[in-house]
Amino acid sequence: MILDLIKFLLTIPFVLILPGYFFSLAIFGRSNDKISFFERAVLVVPFSLILVDLAVLTLNRMHVPIRGMVLVGTILIISLVGLIVYQYRFKKNTKGSEKSEKISDSEELFNFSFWQVIFIIASLVLAVFIRVAYLSDTILPSSTDLGHHMYWVQTIVNNGSLPTYGIPDFIIGEHIIFAVFNLISGVGVMTAFPALILLFINILGIFTLTMLVARLFKNKNATALSFFVAGVLYAVSAPQGKYISGGVVGNIIGDMLIPVVLYFLYRSLEEKSSLFLGLFVFLAAGLFYTHHLSGFILLYSIAAIILVYLALNFMRVFRVIGDWLKIFFKPFPFAVLIFGLCILFFVYTPSFLDKSAIGQATGEPSKITRTGLSLAQIELNVGSARLMLGVIGIALLILSFKPKKYQYSFALGWALVLFIMTYKPGWLYVNIPSDRIGNYLFLPLTVLSAYALAKYFELIKKSSTKFFASAFLYTVLFFVITNGLADSAEAFKARNQFQEATETFHSAQYLAQATDPAKDVILKDHVNIYGDAWYKLFFMKDYKYPLSRGNLSRYDDPTKPREMCTRDMISSPQSTGALKCYSETGVNYVAVNAQIEGKSFEAYPDFSKVYGSNYISVFKKD
Amino acid sequence: MSSKIIIITTLALLLIGFSVLFVVEARNHNYDYKKNWVAVYFENPDDSSLDFAIENHQGEKTTYDYKIFVNDEKTAENEIEVGKGAKQKISPALETNELNGAKKIMIIVSNKDTEYKIYKNIR
Repeated sequence: MILDLIKFLLTIPFVLILPGYFFSLAIFGRSNDKISFFERAVLVVPFSLILVDLAVLTLNRMHVPIRGMVLVGTILIISLVGLIVYQYRFKKNTKGSEKSEKISDSEELFNFSFWQVIFIIASLVLAVFIRVAYLSDTILPSSTDLGHHMYWVQTIVNNGSLPTYGIPDFIIGEHIIFAVFNLISGVGVMTAFPALILLFINILGIFTLTMLVARLFKNKNATALSFFVAGVLYAVSAPQGKYISGGVVGNIIGDMLIPVVLYFLYRSLEEKSSLFLGLFVFLAAGLFYTHHLSGFILLYSIAAIILVYLALNFMRVFRVIGDWLKIFFKPFPFAVLIFGLCILFFVYTPSFLDKSAIGQATGEPSKITRTGLSLAQIELNVGSARLMLGVIGIALLILSFKPKKYQYSFALGWALVLFIMTYKPGWLYVNIPSDRIGNYLFLPLTVLSAYALAKYFELIKKSSTKFFASAFLYTVLFFVITNGLADSAEAFKARNQFQEATETFHSAQYLAQATDPAKDVILKDHVNIYGDAWYKLFFMKDYKYPLSRGNLSRYDDPTKPREMCTRDMISSPQSTGALKCYSETGVNYVAVNAQIEGKSFEAYPDFSKVYGSNYISVFKKD
Repeated sequence: MSSKIIIITTLALLLIGFSVLFVVEARNHNYDYKKNWVAVYFENPDDSSLDFAIENHQGEKTTYDYKIFVNDEKTAENEIEVGKGAKQKISPALETNELNGAKKIMIIVSNKDTEYKIYKNIR
């Protein structure tokens, strides 16, 4: 256990810091006025993540087996290349620029006062503590999504190559990083490590949002407050703690990467920097290899930001576009774009890039769950306090509106488009479950909330009637803290289901040993068995094996006919339809909850009960 | 300097958090750690063999009664002690005449007021 922990902890810097650090050296040098220590420390992780993904995609394309030593060598080579580029590009300038005593503007932006540091650290302690407390009851691998993802990770590990999914639900970037960790550290996927990587990325997401806030508003109070808003408020609700334990891999990585992509876009436009534009293209491409929904959200967000900016500057539209083109048509961003296209066409094309998958996500909403959330649902989704602060932030931004400044279009355009996508997705031809889009609203609302709080503190200082202003502020803060921390109570009252999960694993282990994969077919119940999604890892036969009775509502789909066998074989195993299903599918073992379906199955004469525990019963069809 | 303090503090917090969660998971992954359950199963579910096993995950050494029924008629009864976290294999020795005409053989393992039942239909 301790050895595994040490191996895991040592693998983190090797995989998620080392390549990104040398990449940042190659891009920015050892010290650069454009980027602070804080930003570099944050950016090394997304850089590493994308570089490692890219390296694995390339290895796979070259038919090099993806094994531990190969990956270690590849990461060392990436780092070495970064070091060589750094030596070549920056060695001559070392003496002149790197020993400057003067604090650059970038460093100054993250040079916090004593009390700001105390506040930030307190926020981080709370952010980590609440998440760890919550995860301590859910850390055993048992969530459905994580189980599905880890099946693919184990497939990569077993085969030494990337899988062909055959379905657009999974993106390769969701699995590569876990496979790399497994192959290098040797720590198995049925341990805490997948959730810990998600926790790491989730905490890093607080920093990436903070970095964006710092650049957008150049207000240190807003930056400090963003740690609190992003890290502490609603730390358990989706898409925070619950998404970590639930294994919603793509969203967690997407929530971390989207602010970084927008950060580089903002800096490229604001500072007319082709270097940042190139990095924007690099990270945006990386995001598309990681999570389709986040990529989709990003596309709409960028379109909205650009359109809002152009609309606010319609008198000088052509000049603005001309300026943007001047930034883009420089060697670096152009080269990155060409490089990205080469990867797309010649190395690996994500499974979601086909017409049917794109068609499914766009167009008129096809289901009731895609027609938008009501305002009350949105409030529930993002949290009352965050929504209220976000609205105050919008009002304060509008009050100090300067159309030429990009910060307004970034904050407002981003929030506006995500709100419309959630509230009235049909207006934007979005055909995706609205609650999933709503989970991204916290990103712009966090930015706006931090701005709102910081600005309000400043307004109070200037206010002539301090009593009322202070009373209002403390009322708002009381509401924000009580409402925003209410969900954290869940972290301390959750009942763990470790026993149920281990009994599930035990039954799976029994079936894996006792059955013959060539002739036996297993059906298990997803509805009443906790942790059942991990069953497939004991067999590694196929993604859809063992067969599974899914959530009952899924069988009632007005848009397309669904197979009913998996439902009927457990819900009514003696019915004519079910008997036909048993015959057609060859199912001869059924694993069910001992206290629910298990009791019913004992009454059926055609089944032998071959395994019984407190939680799981396994029946064999005679 | 303040940035460095923030980054280092975060790394330290994550290190502690990761260690705690890793240990919590590893301990709870154990079939016996803070758990109380029993598994009874046929060693060979596919044939007519009656060999079965009892796994004790009740946190202490426990004595289990087991009864064997042929066509709902009790034909054998015994008790067996299974150590904490241990698995005990049992091969019931039934007379051939006891199995003649058997359609269903059931094994009921009990401890205090809890019963674990497994059975095979003989075709």
